[in-house]
Amino acid sequence: MSLTSFIGAIELGLVYSLLAFGTYISFRILNVADLTVDGSFVLGAAVSAVFTFSGNPVLGLITAIVAGALAGIITAVLQTKMGIQPILSGILTMTGLYSVNLAVMGGKANIPLLNKTNIFTYAEQLFAGKTYKIAALLIIIAAVFALLNWFFRTQLGLSVRATGDNEAMCRASSIDTDFIKIIAFAISNAIVALSGALVAQMQQSADVNMGAGMVVISFASIIIGSAVIKNKNITLGLVSVIIGSLIYRFIIALILTTNFPPSYLKLISSLVVIVALSVPNIKNKMEVAGLRRGRI
Amino acid sequence: MMLKLEAVNKVFNKNTPDEHKALNNLSLNVSQGEFVTLIGGNGAGKSTMFNAISGSALCDNGSIELDGTDITYMPEYRRASFVGRIFQDPMRGTAPNLTVGENLIIAYMRSTGKNIMSMPSKKEKTLIRERLSALNLGLEDRINTKIGLLSGGQRQAVTLIMATLVKPKLLLLDEHTAALDPLSAKSVMELTNRIVSENNITTMMITHNITSALAYGSRTIMMDSGSIAVDIDGNERKGLSVQDILQKFSAVKNKVFDDDNALL
Repeated sequence: MSLTSFIGAIELGLVYSLLAFGTYISFRILNVADLTVDGSFVLGAAVSAVFTFSGNPVLGLITAIVAGALAGIITAVLQTKMGIQPILSGILTMTGLYSVNLAVMGGKANIPLLNKTNIFTYAEQLFAGKTYKIAALLIIIAAVFALLNWFFRTQLGLSVRATGDNEAMCRASSIDTDFIKIIAFAISNAIVALSGALVAQMQQSADVNMGAGMVVISFASIIIGSAVIKNKNITLGLVSVIIGSLIYRFIIALILTTNFPPSYLKLISSLVVIVALSVPNIKNKMEVAGLRRGRI
Repeated sequence: MMLKLEAVNKVFNKNTPDEHKALNNLSLNVSQGEFVTLIGGNGAGKSTMFNAISGSALCDNGSIELDGTDITYMPEYRRASFVGRIFQDPMRGTAPNLTVGENLIIAYMRSTGKNIMSMPSKKEKTLIRERLSALNLGLEDRINTKIGLLSGGQRQAVTLIMATLVKPKLLLLDEHTAALDPLSAKSVMELTNRIVSENNITTMMITHNITSALAYGSRTIMMDSGSIAVDIDGNERKGLSVQDILQKFSAVKNKVFDDDNALL
């Protein structure tokens, strides 16, 4: 692997670890697979691209966070207040967002941002060498990490974790679980949108289709991370997400050094998730089958 | 009067052949500090009454007052700040992936009304540690253990602390020792008795065991077909045997009490 693709993998691993932070909240803490992510990621990228195009990259990131939070609130309201199944709520928001994203991008499927000032341009002036993007991303990730680590220890954060763990108990402990889910989905999708916003500025373009498969990619990172760090508290959980995301990007970078066609990468991501989620169950069944054979 | 139920009705499968009157014009008064034990066969309406009081399933009509406030149709999570409830299943009252300490903090939060963005203070942590060590189960040393790793009896003991950390106006115990082994059941029951009497908590306890229904508490109620069949307290209750109360039931209802488990 060349130095450029090595640095590239770290950059991608870091920027997509934010995406995985977001889905970690819904997938691991609330125990719901939130498919809004495929849409809110693009929403963040679209908003960020529009602002960057007009010369306001920082404002673009902030607006993307707000827009992502709104998308999360919609999904949460659908499933709590309107009683729509969690998975379907996410699909509905994601599908609706496709039109919203196109509208945000002024009806164009793609916004190129070549030669536009973005936050990495600022970083280039601050940090020397080839790793200025990594430095900028590390600062942002450290901030999000610190915020989440603090949040999940507050009373509200504790309530979010308990809601995912035992909802009936939470209602019996006078926690308004609907409100808690709305907060959690807002935070989750806000971070996902921030990830999309940063990707758009880093790759200097936003595309309306760039969100396809983001849910699966983030699950793969979370699962790889949990294989590295087991039985963890929130802090280690968040660390494992970053590690998982980095490992995932290194695997992809290695695959790209071979002659393997890149169009199969999404299939590989799916397979990683399928294998990781099914192996414990299959192992279990095989053990039971072994016991049964032993008896006969 | 702490709890006042007036002509409460609840019908399941209304206007179908399966129609079942779970609560039938049920009226009941419980005074402050009373410890009521509740017995009755399956379908007598004990749990339905608890659901109506705690808000997990609302009644059709009638009124429920707690300490002067009408709570008949108040949302469950709001009345939960003054009604504590413990279920038979030890898994139900705690969040398994949170630590013992975190579970207790959540229970403590419900009545403090503190800023939701605040962290648990030193004082609160000390209080929780003290309450745990009062159990004499050594749980104060396992405060950072995930609660899912504790035994059923230990979890139920923690649930009991959770429900009474801030004194509730009413404590509902729904066969909370029935899923435990006899030894743990006995120790959780004794713990319950101690906490309830030390804090003078108004309590209602459903049990299938008539012996413990008479051994614990200050008043015993037998339910049948959604209303009260037998209601005894004070001197009349003292020295009453299982046979005595079954005879009372037969005399009132003109039938034999039909709960095999209750006689064990």
